[in-house]
Amino acid sequence: MTTKLESETETELAISLQDVSKSYKHFKLRNINFSVERGTVAGLIGPNGAGKSTTMRILMGLVQPDSGTVTALGKSISSSEATAKQDIGYFSDDMRLYKPESIGWHMQFVRSLYPTWDDAYATQLLDRFGLIQQQIVKGLSHGQRVKAMLLLILARRPKLLILDEPTNGLDPVAKHEILTELMRVVEDDSRTILYSSHNTQDVEQISDSITFIDRGQVIASSNRDAFLEKWKCIKLHAPEGWKAPIVDGLRLESCHRNLHVLSFSQFGGELPSELHATGVTIESMESMTLEEVFVSSVLRGREESPS
Amino acid sequence: MNLQAIRILFLKDLFLSRRHLFAYFAGGLVASALVCVPNATLSFVGFILVVTVAIAAGIHMIGTLLLAETTDHTRLFVMSLPVSLLDYSIGKISVVLTTYLIPWTAMFTSLMIVTVVSGKQGNAAVLPTIFLFLLAGFMLQLVTAVISESVGWTICVMVGCNVGLNVFLMQLFANPEVSELSKSNVLTWPGVVLLTISVELLIIAVTLVMAFLFQTRKRDLI
Repeated sequence: MTTKLESETETELAISLQDVSKSYKHFKLRNINFSVERGTVAGLIGPNGAGKSTTMRILMGLVQPDSGTVTALGKSISSSEATAKQDIGYFSDDMRLYKPESIGWHMQFVRSLYPTWDDAYATQLLDRFGLIQQQIVKGLSHGQRVKAMLLLILARRPKLLILDEPTNGLDPVAKHEILTELMRVVEDDSRTILYSSHNTQDVEQISDSITFIDRGQVIASSNRDAFLEKWKCIKLHAPEGWKAPIVDGLRLESCHRNLHVLSFSQFGGELPSELHATGVTIESMESMTLEEVFVSSVLRGREESPS
Repeated sequence: MNLQAIRILFLKDLFLSRRHLFAYFAGGLVASALVCVPNATLSFVGFILVVTVAIAAGIHMIGTLLLAETTDHTRLFVMSLPVSLLDYSIGKISVVLTTYLIPWTAMFTSLMIVTVVSGKQGNAAVLPTIFLFLLAGFMLQLVTAVISESVGWTICVMVGCNVGLNVFLMQLFANPEVSELSKSNVLTWPGVVLLTISVELLIIAVTLVMAFLFQTRKRDLI
């Protein structure tokens, strides 16, 4: 019975990484564990060089991990690389198309590899993204190039989208067009998106769950709303020489004269009594933005394990 | 192994290299035609051009079809498609080899035909040793490119092969048997020619196997 339940849970996961590690000369991805449920949008947020792209490349079988197991759509990537990729659409900011050829040529090429290619949808996407089939890749702007690549991915209707910084360097209009299209994709309950960025606003807009990664380690992973509910920013006035009490989840973010700004990651309706007992006057207690949560999480992680 | 995917990747690269391929094919034919001109200077220029086209075609195809996929980041695009490393490797090495062999075969065949027709039958035994040397040199560059993925190292090997070719030609024609054979109108296969061809074929076979082995055993493609 347990086995059956475990197997059912496994099939409900679109992505599963267990104890995945990878060492390079100057960078280590250490024991990455996270999973993404089918039909959800997961955001992977991390500073530059945190390990987001390496994690995604491992998921696509482009980089082999030194240890750990990786499955995508229930298939082990190492053993069924090509078949697993049939249902996965991967975008990377580093990815380039063939410069001398047209968008139409690329569409023909990708279509020849995908029986699921949807011509009508591809035409719709051309129209929505303002692209023309005859446009040569060499002459495309950065935004048009990103849109062309997303068109090539979306028109094959993949069950899983792995998008590595798709909105990086885009103008607000192009960013809006792409996020809107991704929202349309999410309307189909069976499709899953893993979306990485160092821009928390983009991720916050479309993600159901969020994972923070820094220096090759997952530092926090949770439901988006839970992140926003649990994290609070507390501004308080404290007497001179006041020191923040040592409480789980409480961190002093900044201090100017007697005004102290703290972040608290385990808010459950009440402030810790230890804080009240220190004789402070609380000026305000507000929800934090995802960006503030992210920055605080990263700094906490670095304080706990400086390397 | 997915034969359909390999075929699509092969045709894609063949299409991408179509202009260069045509240029080398045409250049090879023009160079071969010059060799046949009954004028010693023009014939010598033609021979130099044949060697130049063979060397340039090799380094160009390796550079544009193999090494540029890494530097231009198009490999990331191709490998995001449902192709395995084995499919990619077979498709890639096959197409680089094919695009080289098209002008190589055109030049070799046309020169062999002219040699036979002109009555200098002895050269029909010398020409294969020279062309197989060029092919072996190309294979060494290919395997270097596969292993190192470096333009610098591949050019180093190309320079080495180029210098080696000059030494090879000097040594080859310094051999009295080969020297006689090149002027003869009777086709014979002296031991030194057969030995040279055997060594060249062995190098080609070993480098081909090495190219596939190294490419398919790569752990990280990006």
